[in-house]
Amino acid sequence: MAKEDVPSAEPLLEKLAQKTSEVEVLRRIALEINSTLDLDQIYSVVLRTMDEFFGFRHSTILLVEGSDTLRVVASHGYETQPLGGIVAVGTGVIGTVAKRRKLMRVNHLRRQHEYFSTIRKQMEEAGRAGELGEMTPLPGLPDAESQIAIPLLIKDTLVGVFSVESPEQKPFSEHEETLMTIVANQAASAIQNARLYRDVEERRQELAEAHDRLKQLNETLEDRVRSRTSELEQANRELRETQAQLVQSSKMASLGMLAAGIAHEINTPLGTIQSNTDVERRAIGNIRDVLQDAAVAKKLRDDSRLNRAFVIFDQVNQVTLEAARRVTKVVQSLSNFARLDQAELELVDLHEGLDSTLTLINHLLKDRIEVVKIYGELPKVRCYASQINQVFANLLTNAAQAIKGTGTITITTRQDGPYAMIEVADSGHGIKPEHLERIFDPGFTTKGVGVGVALGLSTTYRIVENHRGSIDVQSEPNKGATFTIRLPIAPSA
Amino acid sequence: MTDTVKLPDDIKPVMQNGIPATVVTCSADGIPNTTIISQVYYVDPVHVALSFQFFNKTIRNVRENPHACVALNDLEGATEWILDVQYDHSETEGTIFDEMDMQIEAIASATGMSGIFKLRAADIYRVKSFRKISSPPASSRE
Repeated sequence: MAKEDVPSAEPLLEKLAQKTSEVEVLRRIALEINSTLDLDQIYSVVLRTMDEFFGFRHSTILLVEGSDTLRVVASHGYETQPLGGIVAVGTGVIGTVAKRRKLMRVNHLRRQHEYFSTIRKQMEEAGRAGELGEMTPLPGLPDAESQIAIPLLIKDTLVGVFSVESPEQKPFSEHEETLMTIVANQAASAIQNARLYRDVEERRQELAEAHDRLKQLNETLEDRVRSRTSELEQANRELRETQAQLVQSSKMASLGMLAAGIAHEINTPLGTIQSNTDVERRAIGNIRDVLQDAAVAKKLRDDSRLNRAFVIFDQVNQVTLEAARRVTKVVQSLSNFARLDQAELELVDLHEGLDSTLTLINHLLKDRIEVVKIYGELPKVRCYASQINQVFANLLTNAAQAIKGTGTITITTRQDGPYAMIEVADSGHGIKPEHLERIFDPGFTTKGVGVGVALGLSTTYRIVENHRGSIDVQSEPNKGATFTIRLPIAPSA
Repeated sequence: MTDTVKLPDDIKPVMQNGIPATVVTCSADGIPNTTIISQVYYVDPVHVALSFQFFNKTIRNVRENPHACVALNDLEGATEWILDVQYDHSETEGTIFDEMDMQIEAIASATGMSGIFKLRAADIYRVKSFRKISSPPASSRE
């Protein structure tokens, strides 16, 4: 074979080099778009590569949006960005490709448009405009001459459309079509992966936000439960206080009635005793006068038994009168304490109330507790007497019970500005610091089961509060306790 | 010999150049009809497909008289291609129909003409002969 008959290897080598270059470009695109989950980066790689290596200057990627539209999500080479442009499925080259899910190449677009437009114009002139639809402006080159559009498919599902346009007559070769289809398939997979990842991320974000909202709701719920519990506890306390006050009022009413009855029952025989004793005293005086008479036998006057009898009479009468006075005082104190006749605000002598209360709790004091009264100048205070006496009774009873064995209760009163101050201090065992904050709570007690109903101090607190007054306590273990009450002398309401 | 006529590849761009083609048919009683069609589709070297849309007269004629003449204009080459064809059959599905239908639908939908330009069938014609007429006329083949 002659040398000149041997075919040149150059064209084959050039073709091989071109193929190698194309394969390298395709490999690089595949690597780049599959190594990221960033949609914008995928679009950018695809469109830029189409321009740089294949010379396709104008390209767009549209993704399916809803059931019958596509939206331009990326574009390259356009003076006016068609980004965000909408194409209805079934309209134009891109819409038809989306509808048919088949690649489409179109050449001489302008002429075809002109031909269809001419027919349209003729129909309009023929009065058949009603048969025509609307001209739909589509994103992309307004004067495209050639276009190729490739559906982006994942199995049978349409993801979007990849479109390349040219303002010049540019018949796309089958080879170019194959290259573009390869890139489009790669892009479809990468886009779908990125969208799935984005969807998962959005879902994860939504779940995280839902979790946060749930957590917040839980916290709010817990706060509301706490708040509601607190309200219920408060309501329960108030209910118990009200019950206690009701019971106490009932007791006071009974006590008042009892006191009135006792006073009535005792006063009559007491009057008789006092009257009779007085009559007796005067009768004995008369007998003595008679015996002083000279006419009376001296023997009788000097009779020692008779004189001893007189002395005994005097002593017995004295004791009887003293006892009668004591009974009278108790009855008066009882009546004074109950004060049923003072159900409304009255001007009250607090010292009188304190003394009456002391008389009534005398059995708790007896000989073991010394009561020291340091009464200052105190005007009468406008208050509910029976309630204030109840306060005194609670404080003095607590003081007496706090003293084991012997001790002292010191009652101090004075005016403190617009307030009357009453201080009850005992030398008892005192109150533990951890109990100080709770001693006015209903139900709180350190006295043990069976001693009282644990409502005395809470009732005291409530009564003082109702009088617009205040009550404080100071105490240290084994150093006694001092309760200080301040009551407005002339409360506003 | 009509059986050996084969269309050359250089007619393909002319068929895709977007210039409407002229189709002439004749009824059985000898009355001719001329119409314009948007697509002449290259099926294979011996067949072309014409889009059957709304030119009922043409269809009626070729059902009676299967002979027809198609004129294609090549502005770039300043030539005209004349094809003598014979109606063979109509297709309403398949690759050829789909390709032609897509092209028509794409343009028609963008120009608000979807209701007008609707491919009803792809009429397949056998090419009996063709002539390429240049200006000035230079060559012809049969």
